[in-house]
Amino acid sequence: MIMQTDVVVVGGGVAGIKAACELCQAGSKCVLVERDSVLGGKLRGWHKLFPSFTSSSDVIEELLNELKQSNVECLLGSEVVYISSTLCRLASGTEIQCRAVILATGYNLFDARIKEEYGYGIYDNVITSVDLERMFHTGTISTLSGAAPEKVAILHCVGSRDEKVCQRHCSKVCCITAVKQAIEIKKMLPNSEVFNFYMDMRMFGPGYEELYLTAQKQYNVHFIRGRISEAAQLPKGRLQIKAEDTLTARPLIMSVDMLVLMVGMKAPKQNALFALATGLELQPSGFISSKDLFLEAVLTSVPGIFVAGTVTAPKTIGESISEATMASRAALKFIEG
Amino acid sequence: MIYLAPFTYPFIIGAAFMFLIVVWKYAMWFIDLPKEDVQKIKKGIFSKATLYSVWEIFRESLLHVRIFKRSLPLGYMHCSLALGWFMLIVVGWIETIVYLGNSFVPLYGHVFFRFFAAPVLTEHFWILDFLMDFFLLIVLSGVFLAWIKRFSSRLVGIRRTTKHVLTDRLAMSFLWFVFPLRLLSETVTASIYGGGGFLTGSLGELFAAFLPSQLLSSLLMPFWWCYSISLGGFFCFMPFSRYMHIFTEIPLILLRNWTLRPTLDEKSYDKFEIQACSRCGICIDECQLQKVLGIENVQSVYFLRDKRYHMLRLATAQNCLMCGRCQQVCPVGINLNTLRLSTRAIMRNIPSEQRYNYFNGIDRSCGEGRVGYFAGCMTHLTPKIKISMEKIFKAAGEDVWYADSEGSVCCGRPLMLSGETDAARKMIKFNEELFRKHKITTLVTSCPICFRVFTEQYNLEGITVLHHTQYIASILRSGRIALSPEECSYVYHDPCELGRGCGVYDEPREVISRAANLMECSQNREHALCCGGSLSNFVIDDFQQQKIASSVVEHLLLSGAERIATACPLCRKTLSRATERRVMDIAEIVSERLT
Amino acid sequence: MAVKNFGFSISRPRTIDMDKNNLRKSNEILRELPELQACIGCGSCTASCSAGLLTQFNFRKMHTLVRRGEYEGVYKELSKCMLCGKCRMVCPRNINTRKVVLLIKRTLGDF
Repeated sequence: MIMQTDVVVVGGGVAGIKAACELCQAGSKCVLVERDSVLGGKLRGWHKLFPSFTSSSDVIEELLNELKQSNVECLLGSEVVYISSTLCRLASGTEIQCRAVILATGYNLFDARIKEEYGYGIYDNVITSVDLERMFHTGTISTLSGAAPEKVAILHCVGSRDEKVCQRHCSKVCCITAVKQAIEIKKMLPNSEVFNFYMDMRMFGPGYEELYLTAQKQYNVHFIRGRISEAAQLPKGRLQIKAEDTLTARPLIMSVDMLVLMVGMKAPKQNALFALATGLELQPSGFISSKDLFLEAVLTSVPGIFVAGTVTAPKTIGESISEATMASRAALKFIEG
Repeated sequence: MIYLAPFTYPFIIGAAFMFLIVVWKYAMWFIDLPKEDVQKIKKGIFSKATLYSVWEIFRESLLHVRIFKRSLPLGYMHCSLALGWFMLIVVGWIETIVYLGNSFVPLYGHVFFRFFAAPVLTEHFWILDFLMDFFLLIVLSGVFLAWIKRFSSRLVGIRRTTKHVLTDRLAMSFLWFVFPLRLLSETVTASIYGGGGFLTGSLGELFAAFLPSQLLSSLLMPFWWCYSISLGGFFCFMPFSRYMHIFTEIPLILLRNWTLRPTLDEKSYDKFEIQACSRCGICIDECQLQKVLGIENVQSVYFLRDKRYHMLRLATAQNCLMCGRCQQVCPVGINLNTLRLSTRAIMRNIPSEQRYNYFNGIDRSCGEGRVGYFAGCMTHLTPKIKISMEKIFKAAGEDVWYADSEGSVCCGRPLMLSGETDAARKMIKFNEELFRKHKITTLVTSCPICFRVFTEQYNLEGITVLHHTQYIASILRSGRIALSPEECSYVYHDPCELGRGCGVYDEPREVISRAANLMECSQNREHALCCGGSLSNFVIDDFQQQKIASSVVEHLLLSGAERIATACPLCRKTLSRATERRVMDIAEIVSERLT
Repeated sequence: MAVKNFGFSISRPRTIDMDKNNLRKSNEILRELPELQACIGCGSCTASCSAGLLTQFNFRKMHTLVRRGEYEGVYKELSKCMLCGKCRMVCPRNINTRKVVLLIKRTLGDF
């Protein structure tokens, strides 16, 4: 089947949805292609958003409403196998001819099993930040045995700033997510103790530093500066973790009921395929390069291909959505010549 | 016959100088040999080992069988030069005896026999002429190949040829001229006086037919002069160049068969090994640092060269994976890894007496068991291996004492690899006492690095030391555990320390084939590649390690296997970083298939 | 530096005086191993350290002191290292920690 449209938006996460809405509202034809059977992307796995604790389902719903009103043609369950600035081929064989493409394909979560020393997938009560969000969704935080954890360790930078797993970059949102999750645990389990193991606290956004302060002062979350080096299983599903408390320059061991790994953002392998097919430039991290970081952040090295959201670097939800607006405007400008 | 001609002086001086130096060198080395080594010589000299050595000397110093096995043209090059020259000397000797009977002939009379004999000889034995020309042709073909090798080593069967120092270059230049000049000298002689075989004789006739006899007789002396000078020149530089190997390989073969070996402490015997290196360069091709990273000047050939000329830099000594691949292919059989370790030991920081005094009183170990399990430092970073072993022990109903679960002293090998053997002995002593205290009868370890030092350096009499693959193989054979095989194929990566280091090749394969389908890659067992993560290399960075690992993974997957199996936590970690396929330790595979 | 008993005595001057400290040796080390400056001080090395479990040895602190020009006692402390290599396996900045130990000891010597 051959379809024709003005702009193809690849990826149905928040950036993709927003970009498609903007394009249609401006009167151009657009097709939104999503690999999954539902829209919303990674945000669907999230419970509440930092720093305001806004429910992520509210954000998705709002965006989906907007989408409905904009009459965007959505192709769900469609994997893109080939892309150029004028053609998008799907796994089903459908070809979409277009005049511009917006890539909003996002990121992958770092597979925590690769950091074997933390024991994800080996020990019972080692979970990731995503697993924890799922628990928030269900409303109960519990260890595998069903008990509420009394002591929880949260480890920052799992699969970020780590050359050993070829992830040199900072994933940007994990620090603030860890603070948010620590507070949420304390809210749900006021008697629990939460220890955040961090290297640097990167509280770059509005309200972030305030949230950090809240976690420290109001919720008595403990912040320990040091990276956990190993975890080991203790009887009854407890875990022993080892780190250096770098501020006192002494090794530290601690037994906890649960270890939460703040998994970072990894560039999807498909980026390399896109780059190969279209000539897009990639960063060493595997994310796609913007044409210019300041003036043309949503443009790429290939005319007619635009980018929005975490396809270029780790970003927050808010940043991804604003970028989507910019990308759609740039694409419109491009097709109008 | 009168054997007096001034042109022989360069040869005489050169040869005398060479023999003096060589004899002096050997004498010094023998005098410096430690007592144990002298004892070994006394024991071995009148034994079968000596007879065997004669055969080995013929096979390796003349025929160069090991190089032939490596590459036909390269073997031919070495063989033609060595055997050809040797036969020229032997047949030359016979020639003088045949022509002159038992009358005394000085050395230079033998060497320049044609010059002295041509004017006086009336009859010629064609077979001798033929043989002399035949072997000359053989040597010349070898020289020709050596030239080609300098221009394009690939044609001779190796990728890289050795870069040489000045004395090597000088000796080599003289050597290259020796035989062409001999050909010319003998040809001109034959053109004037007749005689000569199919080569010098026919060439001589050709010369006589086309060149004026005046010219030929005026060329005669200069050619013989040049021949003598090139011989003398070669001999002068020979003891200081790589050609010292020509003689040194002979005592080396004898000493080695009399069971002399290099040790972790440098000793006089090492000199025989070092100077027996012909710098053939075969080790360069084997070295993954060269092949994958393009690092030059650190390979064994350069290491030995620099060590011999006292210009070894620390960075060279330390830039080696010590995988043992070069040692595996070295045609002279030099113990390259031991030499490197003893050299690092000389270059080390001298530790203070108090070093590791903190070991006193740290032993708070508890627990008991017939079998001691020493996971090893690296295994603590690969908890899956540790848990798998725990599961296997449990399934086998084994009574286990976990030796290093609560803080432990390292096995000592990583420190030894840096050359600090003396300090490492303190660790060895601590662990020996620990194992004895717990009265274990079997010691199982998951780390081939530990395994190697346990078997080589520890005194663990009465304790069976096993790598976990050996242990698993034994409990599988005795039926203490059973596996349900899975439909998955594994290619086995031989860890250097376990394979080439300890000779354990079969048990890992046996275990894998009981649990799944075992596949092989072409460079396996003794020729297995190093993962790149070796603790022996103190120079290369992580990116370089990873580059090596990627190349290894690529090779392993050529076998068509779905997954990679190995038996070393360090290999497993290093290889995992280079691929998204599953890289598993054998213990993990087994624990997943336990029934 | 008048106080000899470096490390854990309470009498040593607490201030790291960057005006007085001589960084010559430190720079020499960093020239040969620039990646040492890449340390983000996460403490993984110290946390995984076999010797650190048995003694007060702290690799991160030692090389940081060296980079600040505080050399006294470092050789003795680094001599506690068993060179097992776990720290290199966990370093998120790919620092060749075993080389760091050997290099610092070689450059500083015992003083």
